[in-house]
Amino acid sequence: MKALTGNRLDDGEAIFLAHSGEWVSRFADAELFESDDAALAAEAHAKTQITLVVDPYLIDVIPSEGAWAPLSFRERVRALGPTNKPEHGKKTEGGEAIEALLHAHGAARSKGRIELIRRK
Amino acid sequence: MPTLIRWTGQRAELVEDPFTSVGDEDSVPRGDVIVSLQRFQTEGQRLLAEGRKVGVRIEPNEDVEELEKDLPSLAVVALAFPKFLHGQNYSSARILRERYGFEGEIRAVGDVLREQARFMVRCGVDTFEPADGSTPDEWTHVVTRFRHVYQRAADGLAPAFAERADEGARNGV
Amino acid sequence: MYRYDTIDREMLADRVAEFREQCQRRLAGELTEDQFKRIRLMNGLYLQLHAYMLRISIPYGALTSRQLRKLAFIAGTYDKGYGHFTTRTNLQLHWIKLKDAPDILEHLAEVGMHAIQTSGNDIRNITADPHAGANADEVDDPRVWAEVIRQWATFHPEFSFLPRKFKIAVTASAQDRAATKVYDIGLRLHRNDDGELGFEVLVGGGLGRTPYLGPTIRKHLPAKSLLSYLQAILRVYNRYGRRDNIWKARIKVLVAGLGAEGFASEVETEWSKTDQAKIDLPDTELARIRSAFAPRDFESLPATSQAFEAAKKDPAFARFARHNVKPHKVPGYAIIDVSLKKPGETPGDCSVHQMEVVADLAERYSMDEARVSYEQNLILPHVKLDDVPAIWKALDAAELATPNRGLVTDIIACPGLDYCALANARAIPIAQKIAMKFTDPALAERIGELPIRISGCINACGHHHVGAIGILGVDKKGEEFYQVTLGGSPEADATLGQVLGPALPADKVADAVDQMVEVYLRERKDGERFLDTFRRTGLQPFKEAVYADAH
Repeated sequence: MKALTGNRLDDGEAIFLAHSGEWVSRFADAELFESDDAALAAEAHAKTQITLVVDPYLIDVIPSEGAWAPLSFRERVRALGPTNKPEHGKKTEGGEAIEALLHAHGAARSKGRIELIRRK
Repeated sequence: MPTLIRWTGQRAELVEDPFTSVGDEDSVPRGDVIVSLQRFQTEGQRLLAEGRKVGVRIEPNEDVEELEKDLPSLAVVALAFPKFLHGQNYSSARILRERYGFEGEIRAVGDVLREQARFMVRCGVDTFEPADGSTPDEWTHVVTRFRHVYQRAADGLAPAFAERADEGARNGV
Repeated sequence: MYRYDTIDREMLADRVAEFREQCQRRLAGELTEDQFKRIRLMNGLYLQLHAYMLRISIPYGALTSRQLRKLAFIAGTYDKGYGHFTTRTNLQLHWIKLKDAPDILEHLAEVGMHAIQTSGNDIRNITADPHAGANADEVDDPRVWAEVIRQWATFHPEFSFLPRKFKIAVTASAQDRAATKVYDIGLRLHRNDDGELGFEVLVGGGLGRTPYLGPTIRKHLPAKSLLSYLQAILRVYNRYGRRDNIWKARIKVLVAGLGAEGFASEVETEWSKTDQAKIDLPDTELARIRSAFAPRDFESLPATSQAFEAAKKDPAFARFARHNVKPHKVPGYAIIDVSLKKPGETPGDCSVHQMEVVADLAERYSMDEARVSYEQNLILPHVKLDDVPAIWKALDAAELATPNRGLVTDIIACPGLDYCALANARAIPIAQKIAMKFTDPALAERIGELPIRISGCINACGHHHVGAIGILGVDKKGEEFYQVTLGGSPEADATLGQVLGPALPADKVADAVDQMVEVYLRERKDGERFLDTFRRTGLQPFKEAVYADAH
């Protein structure tokens, strides 16, 4: 299962592609792609949206606490915010989605990010 | 249809390009040509003897010093920037202008973008094959964006400390 | 302090106008990210995990109160009310919006500040001894030369697309507070046997994936030839530095490949062909810059201050005096270390309020000067001993008076995976957990000098290689692990740390530090620092203590 993420061009915030096609800042609202084809198509389209999102890439997502969370620890930090200043991130929202993020356990880098680094 | 941008010293203009860039395996057409350093080293004298203008293309990892003796007969040195990050040839340009006093055309080719215009002109490049579709007006704008410079380079602009000394002299300091 | 003249101000104004236009083009989609990224980096603007990060240049770590207040204003208006001082004596703001960046640069320009070349493959902020102007044994004020280099390096047309970033440090005292041995170019001011001012030139030091200590390529360079010689070094690097592999692209790899003598010979050859008179500064300009750093108008005071001595009756103040007050070259004066390392806080972070407190103190008590040290602390360089008690009270009220300069809780840590797109692991929580084990100031004092340095990745922004205890975050199958090294030092006797053993999981690191401190306290002799004991005993006793459970 995958999700599509990037940073918003004008303020740099970590954002996720939602089902509506909008870019949102809450991971809980991210569209989840079961099929690789759909994921890659979404990524290809996102790369054309150069005034909206910077360097979009796919991330792996795993089930956690009844919801979903990024596989990689780094992506969970992006979804939650910095751990030294929780009040600056999205953690204070609370709720199931945040709990899922907090309790997921990571393994391996997201392949999407490795591809991105390789491309650069 | 002019495609080359030339910096006149005051502004950038579109100019015709009489030169053909010739690959190492290609046959040499009539007229003025730009060839690789390697090709020039084997065939350069013959090409020059044929009465045409000859230019040499220098890759980032090639030493412009190898052209020192031939510079008086060269019309153009084309400096390659395969990716704009490859900055080796900024040094080559300065060496050509400041060390050897080369007065021919120094042309930037490759990933040549208008945002590098000022750096290139300051290093002595006067001709450009832009890769980003930019116009001479845009190049003029970028080159003239700063009123001062801090250091001497190949463009002869007075650095800040010289301006300050002049100012001091004018104020009787 | 160097004050910008009309030319300097117009330079910044033109830069701000240029960047504003470039930002507009990017926001409108006329520039791609690839094209804009280089531009953005040359203006110190990174895209990180949560937002853009702006790295503001603080040349040779020197600030006036006006500048510090402006930084506070910017942090409060455009960021989340704080800033982070780095090991390069710059200030980072971690929550910046691209669309605000041009306005921020305009605000900075009002006080003669900028973010020029704080990133990118160019010549970065020049660092110098943070005690410059207050050192008794200074041969010259290193800031004079740092400012000379800064201007020459700014918008340098030949050296803005180097193989990689380039960092230069300047020192002028026997004790090297600028870590010149681990810089691309380290410059050590001295006088030769004829009394002539000159530089010992070290090239090819650096931390990161392959740490090196920079060899001396020239023992004495006449001071006035500095810029032409730097041009020669940079030109050799620009032409021959590797560009095929980002991990082999620093000058240290070129110097190691050619050998110090081979590299020196290339530089000397290039230099001999240079029209030096065109590049080196005329005496008038040197004198003009030097006059900006002229000795301050110190008062004639007795060496001992009654007020200072009397205040030491308070044990808390006495402890502060022992660790955070340093001797000044002028009798009756002192240098104060302002700690940004309160245990439990993020090392190097400084709130808007704290910046304003330090600005007020600098203006009132320190001849309007404050400094940033590469240990991520602040410094008030010219205070009267008489005033130290009042300064201490003000610092204490703002949580800036932790008496831990150089001690186990004076930890250097990079922002790490909490903020940085390059990181493998977090550094800040590790620093916090370690510091919380040593909150008792008496214990910290008993342990003595113990620099701990933490980097969240191999880029080593936390300088872990030169920590007495170094900690490097690594990514082991997506989990945070930490490799511990011992015995590093950035000073004149520079050494790189040795790996202790297999990487430790995050929850074991603070305990490991605790165990190693215990070993040190048990083993130490005769006033040895942690580093000294380690150099005597080697890894063995520390390794045994930390990995005892493994048996």
